[in-house]
Amino acid sequence: MRRSRLRSYWGLSFRQLRTRRLRVFLTAAGIVLGVGMICGVLLLAATIQRTFTDLYDSFYGQTDLVVSGSESAGSLPASALRRVEQSEGVEDASASILAVTSLVGEDGRVEEGSGSTLNVSGDDPEATDFTDWTTTEGRGIRGGREIEVEESWAEANEIGVGDTIRLAAPAGIYRLQVVGLLRFSSGLDFGGEGFGSMPLATARTAFDKPGVFDEVEVLVAGDDEGSVDAVGDRLEREFGKGVEIATPAAKGEDVQRQLQAFNVVLYFFAGMALFVGGFLIFNSFNMTVLQRMREIGMQRTLGATRPMVVRSVLLEAVLLGALGAVLGLGLGVLLALGLIALMRAIDFPVGDLELTWIAPVAAVATGLLTAVLGALNPARRAGRIAPIRAVLGSEGLRTRPGPLRALAGVLLIAPGLAGAFLLGAADETTNGVIAAGIAGIIAIFFGIALIAPFLIEPLARVLSWPIRKLAPVEGRIASDSARSNPGRTAATATALMIGLALVVGINSLGSSFLNSIEREFDRSLARDLTVQPRGFAPGQGPQQTIAKSLSQRIQKLPAAAVVAQERLVAVPNLPRVKGGKEGPQGLLFAFDPKVYPQVDTTDLDGDGASREQVYERIDSGQVTVGKGYADEDGIEVGDALVLEGPSDTRRARVAAIVETIFAGGQTVGLSLETMRDVYGVTADSQLALKATSDAARSDLERQVERLIERDYPNLAVLSNDELKSDVEDQLNQSFGFFNALVGVAIFASLFGIINTLSMSVIERTREIGVLRALGATRWQIRRTIADESLVIALIGAVMGIAIGSGLGWALLKGLSFGIPGVTYQPPVGTMIGVAVAAVILGLVAAILPARRAARLDVVEALSYE
Amino acid sequence: MTPAASDGLAPAIEIRGLTKVFGSGQTAVRALDGVDLEIGRGEMVAIMGPSGSGKSTLLHLLGALETPTSGSIALAGRRFDGLDDRELTLLRREGIGFVFQFFNLLPSLTAEENVLLPALIAGLRDEAIAARARALLDRVGLAGRTTHLPSELSGGEQQRVSIARALLMEPALILADEPTGNLDSKSEAQVLELLAELNRDEGHTIVMVTHDPDAAAVAGRVVFMRDGRIESDGLGRGLLDRLRRIREDLPLP
Repeated sequence: MRRSRLRSYWGLSFRQLRTRRLRVFLTAAGIVLGVGMICGVLLLAATIQRTFTDLYDSFYGQTDLVVSGSESAGSLPASALRRVEQSEGVEDASASILAVTSLVGEDGRVEEGSGSTLNVSGDDPEATDFTDWTTTEGRGIRGGREIEVEESWAEANEIGVGDTIRLAAPAGIYRLQVVGLLRFSSGLDFGGEGFGSMPLATARTAFDKPGVFDEVEVLVAGDDEGSVDAVGDRLEREFGKGVEIATPAAKGEDVQRQLQAFNVVLYFFAGMALFVGGFLIFNSFNMTVLQRMREIGMQRTLGATRPMVVRSVLLEAVLLGALGAVLGLGLGVLLALGLIALMRAIDFPVGDLELTWIAPVAAVATGLLTAVLGALNPARRAGRIAPIRAVLGSEGLRTRPGPLRALAGVLLIAPGLAGAFLLGAADETTNGVIAAGIAGIIAIFFGIALIAPFLIEPLARVLSWPIRKLAPVEGRIASDSARSNPGRTAATATALMIGLALVVGINSLGSSFLNSIEREFDRSLARDLTVQPRGFAPGQGPQQTIAKSLSQRIQKLPAAAVVAQERLVAVPNLPRVKGGKEGPQGLLFAFDPKVYPQVDTTDLDGDGASREQVYERIDSGQVTVGKGYADEDGIEVGDALVLEGPSDTRRARVAAIVETIFAGGQTVGLSLETMRDVYGVTADSQLALKATSDAARSDLERQVERLIERDYPNLAVLSNDELKSDVEDQLNQSFGFFNALVGVAIFASLFGIINTLSMSVIERTREIGVLRALGATRWQIRRTIADESLVIALIGAVMGIAIGSGLGWALLKGLSFGIPGVTYQPPVGTMIGVAVAAVILGLVAAILPARRAARLDVVEALSYE
Repeated sequence: MTPAASDGLAPAIEIRGLTKVFGSGQTAVRALDGVDLEIGRGEMVAIMGPSGSGKSTLLHLLGALETPTSGSIALAGRRFDGLDDRELTLLRREGIGFVFQFFNLLPSLTAEENVLLPALIAGLRDEAIAARARALLDRVGLAGRTTHLPSELSGGEQQRVSIARALLMEPALILADEPTGNLDSKSEAQVLELLAELNRDEGHTIVMVTHDPDAAAVAGRVVFMRDGRIESDGLGRGLLDRLRRIREDLPLP
């Protein structure tokens, strides 16, 4: 089979790629994975966005305005509906309460995971239905113990119309008859969690929300935007601070904004994977240019100009980038599907994959750009190859890097660390801060890439020591080989280092937080047991609450001495001295000041006031502020914060600053009474229990467990150790997700090592021939290559651990400004894991090149030019 | 075609006081030391001499692959000095054909494509030049192997492909650097015969650096170099004596 004849000089670039398929595959792999990541992550972001848009569109349907507690925090008094209805320009209004509950299985237990979670709205069956969902089977709710549920959730839980389901609600287990199945307008499947609608009266008792509404949906008379704005303004004046009037679109955008930080993290990891891809291109092209020195010199003797040579190398990169990008798109879709499954697995609601055109376009564009940027320097080097190289080949070329390079590297690393520090230190993750942080991290990696060649010599010497001990001859040859071309070894090890450094950096944060949280727990937990809803994660969307009756029932248990209620509300804006909506995201944390000191010993700084005095002041309506927030906003004991809730707006003095890293120190503590009066929240989030004596602790645990098992299967009883491991699990889950993303970058660098080794084998063909002629066995040749691979991988691991620790330290130093009390803790387990992974990667990468080297024909190898 | 052909009377090569020094200070090596040489059109010249005598340096300077420390070279009356990289590139493209010891064929291109490469680099892609490439392959006895890759050709065949490539742009000068240095004796004979024919029958000017007395024997003129200077320059008479001396100088049998 013969291809068509070469028609132009540029066709040579195509031909080069076509005839070097293995190299093309290994070089393009980085771009494939990078583009795949970008595309996958963009698709995921689009899917998440679509999920919420669909949800809000369906849920609110024809609704023009939504009245709710300030940014959905807290409940509205029941009078709110009447006040809305009486307002001028309002055509119709309907109010509802919202709650989260769990499906109780036939065995009386609640299944782990989000599949059993049901988001319920309590609606007035007589009121106008503003939603855009349709009843596909059965009918809508009319009253009594009825419920209509979303069909895909019903199907997943094998529920049909006419069935009776049991829901674990604050008032106990509720039996409800499924009267209909509903479907969102877009057919949205929320992936795990379900939606349902039940009669308002039933919901009020079930969820223990008497006399309140969570939202009032408003239909404005007249269709134009102006009338909606006018009614909005009027309602805002009517309700004042603490109540939010927003269009459904604006509410959707709020969620988007909260998701933005998460998206940025996703983009960051995708960008890193692509960066590794670009690095592989850079490395591979550098090697190829060196290897084709004679060939390029010959083209110059035939009359190719410098710009022609440069352009032909770049053209090759463009073709390679295009090929990688196209393959990457396919991978991207698979990756997006995988990420969606992963997110559903960690209980994050996501709909089905949303295919957008912008994701592939952006991914291909960045892929191409990366390929060209990666090849830029090698292309320039190729252009500088003199025609005389046609005769000399690469003979007498200097491959040692110059000292300027080291200087440039150092100059990049310093501001890079500053950028990472800034990223951690920033109060608010604005786009500018994120860009500075990401640029900083990339600068660090570039700096290391520049310095790395100087580190190769000593690192290779030290790291190859055990190998040389095990196999003196092979180890020596391998170590010499790695050192003979420090630039190449450095670039390969650096590509691996990037992924490993990210893993170590991320897990530095993880281990530091974990360690600090554990220390705080040890310091502050004076309780014996904690009762909380299963999967309780404050700050991550609406949470289930605890039945009011439970605290009274536990109080009556003989082994119970103290039952302290805790009520948590996540707010997008913490109250400030000046009021308004500029405060940071955080947690409002309410407790009974008369009881709470018995279960909690967190350090308080009351500016001279005793603990007792501080709690007395809280009882009288004052508040505490977490140290993180206090430091950031310059809040001091004695300042007055403006509490703006749907039920009331009032000023409250700061009684003390609390030494806590809980919620990053972004907390405001208040009494149960203040919480109820201002925010309308009356449901417990957690109960802290203390037994009558240490000996009674296990009795209490048994008694509470029995109670919960029977009547409150959506709750869990945790010992302090279990509470710690619960927090640990949540943290590990998030970091596990990030680690999975970084894994792609590490996988990409595997191809880099294979590529380098393949090139090394080709370059050393004659040397291998000599070794074989001198009596080296095929096995010994294999060992040589595998050992070189190991040396490269170990250099990558050592650099990765060092840089990752530095990166984690810088990020944490920055973070600890916002969250005082967090101290750096090296992730020892991760470091060991990284070293082991490097050894495995090194050995896997060597398989093919080593086999190729071992199979070389001795005579041919000796005459290889 | 050749820009230098404008001056019909100038010799193919005119070298005056050519000196090339590598390195500087203590380690400086004077590879060429004031060489004067004139080569007429249609001549075939073998440059011989022991290793380090400067013969390769002379060839590299002739091919505009390197620049001299001092002195001048003119190809068909056109002087190299003062030309920038781009002008030198165009000069090589149109005025000089190279034949290398290691053939330097692109492994991914067929024989015909390798021959055609100089034209593609020059931006010529018409059927006439392709026909000329095929004709040249025919001329060097490889009509049946136009679609073979270099790896499918013997050493001698590869060298004949590279000779066809050197001829494609009808250069004023063909430079051959040890063209038989990497060939077996049968291929060597074929390649030398081909070069001799090209000179004798078609009037190509050929300058060849070689260690090989048999190769030198086909040239009409032998320039013998030692220590960067021309030791002798002559034809026929006494040549065999000198060749014998050369053999004794050679490190290889």
